[in-house]
Amino acid sequence: MRIGNYEFYLEKRLTLAGWQAATISILAVVVALALFSLIFIQAGVNPLSAYQEIFSYAFANPYGLPLSINRFIFLLLCTCAFIIPFRAGLWNIGMTGQFYAGSLSAFAVLFAFGARGSSNLDLPPGIVIPLMLVAAALGGTVPGAIAGFLKGRFNTNEIVVTMMLNFIAFWLVSFMIKEGGLFMNPGGRSESFDVPSSVHAPLIMGTPFTILLALGIAVLLYLMFAKTKIGYQIRAYGQSPAAAEYAGISTFKIPLLVFIMGGAIAGLAGYHYFAAVPGVYKIARNYVQFGDMAFYGIICGLISQGNPLAAIPIALLFGGLSIGGRFIQGKLNMSFGLDYALLGVLMMTLVAFQFFYRNKIVWVKAGKERADVGIPS
Amino acid sequence: MWEFLARSLEASMIFTFAGLGELIDQRSGVLNVGIEGVMLFGATLGFIAAQSTGSYWLGFLVGITIGGLLGLLHGFFSITLGVDQVVSGMGIWILGFGLTTYIGNPYTGPLGMERIPTILGLSPFFYVGIVLVIITWFVLNKTSLGLRIRSVGENPSVAEVSGINVARTRYLCVITSGMLMGLAGAIYSLDYNPVWNYNFLMGWGFIALALVFFSMWNPFIMLGGSLLFGTMWQLSLSPELVLPGVLSRYIWRTVPFVITVVVLLIMSTKWFRIRWGAARPEALAIPYVKE
Repeated sequence: MRIGNYEFYLEKRLTLAGWQAATISILAVVVALALFSLIFIQAGVNPLSAYQEIFSYAFANPYGLPLSINRFIFLLLCTCAFIIPFRAGLWNIGMTGQFYAGSLSAFAVLFAFGARGSSNLDLPPGIVIPLMLVAAALGGTVPGAIAGFLKGRFNTNEIVVTMMLNFIAFWLVSFMIKEGGLFMNPGGRSESFDVPSSVHAPLIMGTPFTILLALGIAVLLYLMFAKTKIGYQIRAYGQSPAAAEYAGISTFKIPLLVFIMGGAIAGLAGYHYFAAVPGVYKIARNYVQFGDMAFYGIICGLISQGNPLAAIPIALLFGGLSIGGRFIQGKLNMSFGLDYALLGVLMMTLVAFQFFYRNKIVWVKAGKERADVGIPS
Repeated sequence: MWEFLARSLEASMIFTFAGLGELIDQRSGVLNVGIEGVMLFGATLGFIAAQSTGSYWLGFLVGITIGGLLGLLHGFFSITLGVDQVVSGMGIWILGFGLTTYIGNPYTGPLGMERIPTILGLSPFFYVGIVLVIITWFVLNKTSLGLRIRSVGENPSVAEVSGINVARTRYLCVITSGMLMGLAGAIYSLDYNPVWNYNFLMGWGFIALALVFFSMWNPFIMLGGSLLFGTMWQLSLSPELVLPGVLSRYIWRTVPFVITVVVLLIMSTKWFRIRWGAARPEALAIPYVKE
C-alpha cells in the first residue's frame, strides 16, 4: 500500500523482544481507553475530565485507594490463575468458579469452628487463618483439577468445561448462603455469616496481608517459568503438545498440573475477597459481581503475554480503572456497568492487537529497492 | 404438563438456532467460542429496539443484524488478520458480556408488550427452527455450496487450488452463523423470557457450543441434542412441575451444566471417537493463510 512517498507493507515477526511486546501492550491499552471515551461522549461527559476523575479516585483518594489495592490483589491472583494454563496453551476461564469454590471452602473452615453462631467468637487466628488459606486453595483446586483431568485424560474442550464449572459453582454458592443454606446469615439475610472479628486477616498499613501472598506468587511463577524444569515443560507443551510428548513430557500431567495450580491460586482470591478485605468479611449477597470481575484476569493475562511480573502493573492499572469507573458512574449518574463496558472494549482492542504481536508494518520510501526482493515471505 | 412441554420445546429452539449457527461456522473451519456474546448482543439490542419502537419485527431485525455484524467482526479477526480464533471468540464473548451489561441496564425489567401469538400452542419459532434444520442439512449435504463449505473446512489449501475462494466462503459462513446466533438471542429476550436482567443468559451460548461438539456436525443430531437440553433446562427452572420437593432449586439449576460436562466427557473418550468420530472438520480453528 502506498501513502504519499512511502510504501507500507506487512512483515511477519520472527521474534518478539520484551520491549516490543511491552510497547504493543501499552499501545493496546491506550487505544482501548481512547475508544472507551466514545462511551463518555455518548453519555455527554467530557472524557478527559472523566479519566482524571477515575485516576484521582482510584489512586489518590483515601477511600478509593484501598478499594483499588484490594481489587488489585484479587486481579493479580486471578491473572496468575489464568497465566499458568495459558503458558501451556490452555484456556482457564473458570477463575470465577474456582474463586467461588475457594471462598466456600474458607467459610467451611469457619463453619467447622462454629463461627456461624456468633460473630464475637474468640478463635485462635494463628491456627484458623492458615487453615482457611489452605482450604481456599484446596477448594479452588477441585474445579481446576476436574477441568485439567478431563483435558489431560480425554482432551475434552477446557473452555466449555471451565465455563460449565463456573455456573455450577455459582449455583452452589446460592445453595449454601440462601434459603436456609448451611452458611446462611443467622439474621436471615441472603448472605453468609460474618467472619468473627478475632480471625479477620491481619492488615499491613490497612492492606490485607494477601498482598504479599499475591506478589510472592507472581514472582515465584516468574521464576518457575524462567528457571525450573517444570516451567520449561509447561512452555514446551504450550508450544506444541505433540512435540512435547515426543520429548518425553507427559501430556496428561501437564494439563492437570497447570489447572490445579491455577485453581489453587484463584481459590486464594476467594479467601482474599470474602474473608480478608476490610468491610466485607462475608460472602456478599451480590457475590456474582465480585466473581465476574475475575474475567479481567483474562485481559491482564493476555496483555502481559503470560508474564507474571508484567501482570503486576497491569493488574494494578485495571484494578484502579474498574474501581474508578464504578465510582464515576455513580457520581456522573451514568448507567450501571461502566466497569463491565470497559472490560469489553479492552478485550476487543486486545484481540485486534494480537495481530501486531505476530506481524509488523514496515515502510520504506518509494523508489528505494526493497531489501527482500525475490525472497518470498 | 403441556405447559412444561411447550416451554421445553421453545427453549430447545434457542439452542437449535444458536447451535445451527455454530455448526455452519465450524463446518467451514471457523471456531467461534463467543456464541454467548453474540446472543447477549442480539438479545439486548433486539429487546431495546422492540421496546422503544413497539415492533417485534424491528426487534428481531436488529438482533439478526447485530449478530451478522459480530460474525463479520469475528471473520475479520480470524480470516483476514489470522488471529487465534479462540482469542477472537473470547473477545466477542467478553465484549458482549461487558457492553450489554452497560447498555441494557437502564432497560432492566419486563418487555411490556403483548406476547407473540402462538401457533397450535407453540411459539412460531419452533416451526421455523425445524425448517431451518432441514434447510441447513440440505444445503450442507446436497448442494454445491455445501460441498464448498465442507471442503473449506476440511482442507482449505486443496479447496483453494480447486478454485474455491476460501476467504469468501468462510466470510459467508461466519456472517450467516452470526445472524442465527443473534436471532437466537432475540428469541430469548423477546419471546421465551421477555425480561432484561444482569447477564440473563447464564450459559445458554456455552451449552450451544457443547451441543455442536455433541452433534458430530450433523444438524439432525443437533436438533435431538437441543430437544434434550431444552427439556433439561426447563426442568431445572421449574423442577416442582415434575418432581416436587426433590432437592433444592439451586441444585437443580446446576443439573444442565453437570450433564453438559458428562456428555462432553463421554464424547471425548476413545471408544466414542472410534465408534462415531471422524466427523470433525479437519481444519477447524486453524487460521488459513493463502500462499
